[in-house]
Amino acid sequence: MMDKKDLKILAIIIATFGIFYFVPENSEWFNNSAVSGLNLLNEYAKQHVLTCLVPALFIAGAIVVLIRKDKVLRYLGSGAKKYVSYSIASVSGSILAVCSCTILPLFAGIRKRGAGLGPAITFLFSGPAINIAAIFLTMSVLGVKIGIARIIAAVALSILVGVTMAVLFREKTDDGELLIEEEKGKDLSYLTIGLFFALMVGMLIVNGLQISRLIRNIVMVIMAFLVIVLVIVKFSREIRESWLSETWNFSKMILPLLFIGVFVAGFIMPLLPEKVIYGLVGQNTVLGNLAASIFGAFMYFSTLTEIPILQALMSKGMHEGPALALLLAGPSLSLPNMLVVRRVLGNAKTLVYVGLVIAYSTTAGLIFGGII
Amino acid sequence: MKIEILGTGCPKCKLLEENAKKAIAESGKKAELVKVTEIGDIVSYGVMSTPAIVIDGKVKSYGKVASVEEIKGWI
Repeated sequence: MMDKKDLKILAIIIATFGIFYFVPENSEWFNNSAVSGLNLLNEYAKQHVLTCLVPALFIAGAIVVLIRKDKVLRYLGSGAKKYVSYSIASVSGSILAVCSCTILPLFAGIRKRGAGLGPAITFLFSGPAINIAAIFLTMSVLGVKIGIARIIAAVALSILVGVTMAVLFREKTDDGELLIEEEKGKDLSYLTIGLFFALMVGMLIVNGLQISRLIRNIVMVIMAFLVIVLVIVKFSREIRESWLSETWNFSKMILPLLFIGVFVAGFIMPLLPEKVIYGLVGQNTVLGNLAASIFGAFMYFSTLTEIPILQALMSKGMHEGPALALLLAGPSLSLPNMLVVRRVLGNAKTLVYVGLVIAYSTTAGLIFGGII
Repeated sequence: MKIEILGTGCPKCKLLEENAKKAIAESGKKAELVKVTEIGDIVSYGVMSTPAIVIDGKVKSYGKVASVEEIKGWI
């Protein structure tokens, strides 16, 4: 008797076989696409994985282990000042939530028993949009300018969407506090933690600088070495182990899908109709930005795969403005995600939320496309 | 005794459920295991990070997968 797991494996085998059975034999377009997909994978492996993605994954793992969540959550509780809640919510996505299944309970908690609907929405939007791996991979692949624009616009947008929602829908929060457990101190001084993160993030920044490859690599190796020394000298065994295991969890979750996404993006690159893309999003127009926002809002991107897809689109003439619009609306919203949010928020609020994200992303894209 | 597992169905919640089942079996006590999956219901316990385990109305742990030994200590 086959159990579920075996059936799944069988389905995968049949699907893989089916794909290779029906692959068009030696047709020109298919060969071009396959080679293009492999080339893009090669580019990522050579330029982005070691210097950008690997450090970013280690940082994400360290955030989970080293940052005290209870302190952050307190600012999102019912007693906190509104402007504090909004600003913390707009950046806390990168600290509190790194996987979509943790975002929703936090969102519901902040809304019902904490700072209310506005900061909760801010958190819901910024959570997936502002994660360290996404920001630095954007810089590494698409350029520093658009990477920085992505951070600034995502933070600003998340606050705007939250405030607008809070103004449109006045909601009362329930009485009753949230359970916020005092976490034990991690027996590390702020100096150690600060130095550790400064070195890790420094590596990513150095990687993005336009300096000679040799100097860049030397500086990065030195920094990596310092991190290792710091970790060996200062971190307890327990922290080291949980850091590595969290990092490994992220890698398992993100990397396989990212590699598939990169290949798919490379594969479709030669097939994308240049004329249509240039005609629709080739210029920094309202229509172009709106089209990019709507596409981003409904399309599902697995973590980080929006970047290779965008790279493919930009190689076919997509303008930077619409590109930013897609980056903003893309990771935070997708059709499956809307359906989940709808269950919590109801039809009207979900509709307004999606509409606001699209409208603000369009505007941000227009502004960025105008000043670049 | 009533044991509730709060979680939206992520892999960690399933792990916690398994642990709770084992703990009940090993302790030999009679307990009813209930899964709470609706976000609204989860929040009404004041819990923001899933998975969480609630025993007789009291939140015992949240945000992590409690081990079989821990759960046995509570029931």
